[in-house]
Amino acid sequence: MTDYTWQSVYFSYLLFAVLAGGAVFFFIRSVKDGYLGPNSEGPKYRMLEDDPELDPPQPNGATAPRRP
Amino acid sequence: MLHKTDSNAILFVGAALGLFFIGGLLTTVAPPLIDKSWNKPFENTDPSKGPTGKLVAYTDQEMRGYRIYIREGCKYCHTQQTRTLASDVARSGWKGVPSPVSTPDEFVYDYRQTFGTKRTGPDLSRIGGKYNKEWHRAHFRNPRDLVPGSIMPPFPWIANNPDELDALVAYLQTRGRAKDWRPDNDYEK
Amino acid sequence: MATNAIRGSMAAPAAVATPEIHSDTTVKWFVLGAVGYFAIVGIIALIIAAKFVWPDFLGSISYFTYGRMRPLHVNGMLFGWLLAADMGLAYYIVPRLCGVRLWSEKLGVATSVLWNIIILSAIVTLLGGYQKGIEYGDLPTPVAVLVVIAWVMFGINIFATIARRKYNQMYVSTWYLMGTILWTAFVYLTGNFATLLPGVTGVNQANLTWMYTHNAVGLIFTPAGLAIAYYFIPRASNTPLYSHKLSMIGFWSLAFVYVWTGAHHMLHGPISQWLQTIAIVFSILLLIPVWAVVYNFIATMKGQWHQLNDNVSLKFLMSGTIFYLLTCFQGPMHSLRSVNAIVSKTDWIPGHAHMAVLGTFSFMAMAGVYYVVPRIFHTTLHSEAVANWSFWLFLIGGLGMFTALWLGGFWQGWQWNNPSIPFIDTVVALKPVWMVRFFSGIMIFSGIVLFLYNIMSTALGAGQAKAELARS
Repeated sequence: MTDYTWQSVYFSYLLFAVLAGGAVFFFIRSVKDGYLGPNSEGPKYRMLEDDPELDPPQPNGATAPRRP
Repeated sequence: MLHKTDSNAILFVGAALGLFFIGGLLTTVAPPLIDKSWNKPFENTDPSKGPTGKLVAYTDQEMRGYRIYIREGCKYCHTQQTRTLASDVARSGWKGVPSPVSTPDEFVYDYRQTFGTKRTGPDLSRIGGKYNKEWHRAHFRNPRDLVPGSIMPPFPWIANNPDELDALVAYLQTRGRAKDWRPDNDYEK
Repeated sequence: MATNAIRGSMAAPAAVATPEIHSDTTVKWFVLGAVGYFAIVGIIALIIAAKFVWPDFLGSISYFTYGRMRPLHVNGMLFGWLLAADMGLAYYIVPRLCGVRLWSEKLGVATSVLWNIIILSAIVTLLGGYQKGIEYGDLPTPVAVLVVIAWVMFGINIFATIARRKYNQMYVSTWYLMGTILWTAFVYLTGNFATLLPGVTGVNQANLTWMYTHNAVGLIFTPAGLAIAYYFIPRASNTPLYSHKLSMIGFWSLAFVYVWTGAHHMLHGPISQWLQTIAIVFSILLLIPVWAVVYNFIATMKGQWHQLNDNVSLKFLMSGTIFYLLTCFQGPMHSLRSVNAIVSKTDWIPGHAHMAVLGTFSFMAMAGVYYVVPRIFHTTLHSEAVANWSFWLFLIGGLGMFTALWLGGFWQGWQWNNPSIPFIDTVVALKPVWMVRFFSGIMIFSGIVLFLYNIMSTALGAGQAKAELARS
């Protein structure tokens, strides 16, 4: 059966190759940056605690002081 | 750079939208630019290339029927696509003649796509010319009179309104008629 | 440490003197409204399930015909119940994760009022036959404009809260909620407005519609539901999440992969083959974000499964997780051309869709509501026993409906693939399946009624309990 769009399937092959390359690049990059290292697990412990008190609401929408 | 995305909300927003737009643009904006058949009405005069015929724009009456089809949510039970499956081709056929598969260029004038996701009732992509108006009137009044076991709801407010009935039937008779697929040209009116 | 031990149970906050840090007014408005619409739209769901068994039921009144009630069922459940509940829970989660108050309670309450106007006008316009004719985007354009306005108000409030956060590094629930707000904006605009642009017709419009329809689940309800599960699984079990890193992998792969898959709704249909192939490949890739998330949830519960005995929120959350695994295994599998040729357009599809939106994301939202409502009203849940009953009704009714529709759908697909069977015979053959679906629906609806009763009694009883406490 002749299909009216078969030629364009090569476009999708090209796309898959580009995406696979991008995935490998970002994976190596994130390992190098230590993004997958042991120091990024903090938030999961902190979310179990409620804040005992909050900073007073900031007038004029100013940013509240941040803790690291 | 990557390390900051869970601490920097602005970088996060950029990354989340950036990833989204790669796929978003390539699957929505690019396809109609790549495939011209999405926007070019069907026309074929060469029988060696498959069924001949020409897609024509809807008349005012057919358009009113089209709006009734949308208003009553018909597409939630009836699909309008003869897929590239042998069973679809056979089921959309009529009197032993298999139907051609649906192609994008048959739907160019559809202001609301009616391809559907659920086939509770039969597919309507080639319904045009299969039944005459009297059949449709009786069927809309009570589907079970003509098709025992059917679960289609009755539509008395359409069957009893000649204007709406004529419009809806006129719309249904256009379905699949862009392609002249029946050798005897035995289309009902 | 004492507070930690208590936090795991449903009965926590009344016993502990917590200072009123968060006023949670917006949460109350959104959550109680959502629970109410859940019950109202549940009646419509039952009616349309009954219409499959008794097609003349309410059949000759145009306002109650199937084709008008189905969009109302879909939009009412998605926007009236689920999205409103998700938004309400977001108003609860984000201030707590950020360690600051909600940016503006007034804006939040205004958003809730607008949301109620949207849902009520949806009921009127859809039954009146003013549906736009785009699946999931059935709301007429003026109502869709209101949805956009409400969404912007919601987004401003949440993003402004996040911008003032006390802790720089964000927990994964915050990411998912930010993602939900951003993606929903574009997905909704595509489905409700880009589809109406002049010249967008036929297959082109269908492609945009499927991009919206698919991502309404994939990029609205999935990230919102996962944000809720990522917050309430650790909180309800008082156990830290298994891995923050794994949650990152799940999030970024979801962000990239989901949007490509819309065309898998048109497999074998009149849409370009290359687009179908792309949609299939990315549908398979969806296993990555799904399994990353499910593994994280299951591993969090390691050694903690006994907590499911007496914790209704955890029951909902973990059965929702299992349903998520199942529904997201079905999805990629029936995106394969060979499987799709059998199940596409059959009753399998509503079975799959209900497992995603009811079995997974509604379960997660209900878990959140059960956890949040006693806390925001500073009381205890009205009845743990009734909550337990509601869970089992939802679970058994849901399983009955899902399995009936999957088996029925497969059977239907096989019959369709044999053209010598007349179509009407394949309809008649499914009638027992629709009967099972209707009775499962009655069980699910009973679960909704108990849920509504329990939540409303908790909310209304809170004032009395407080008064008694003051007297004693």
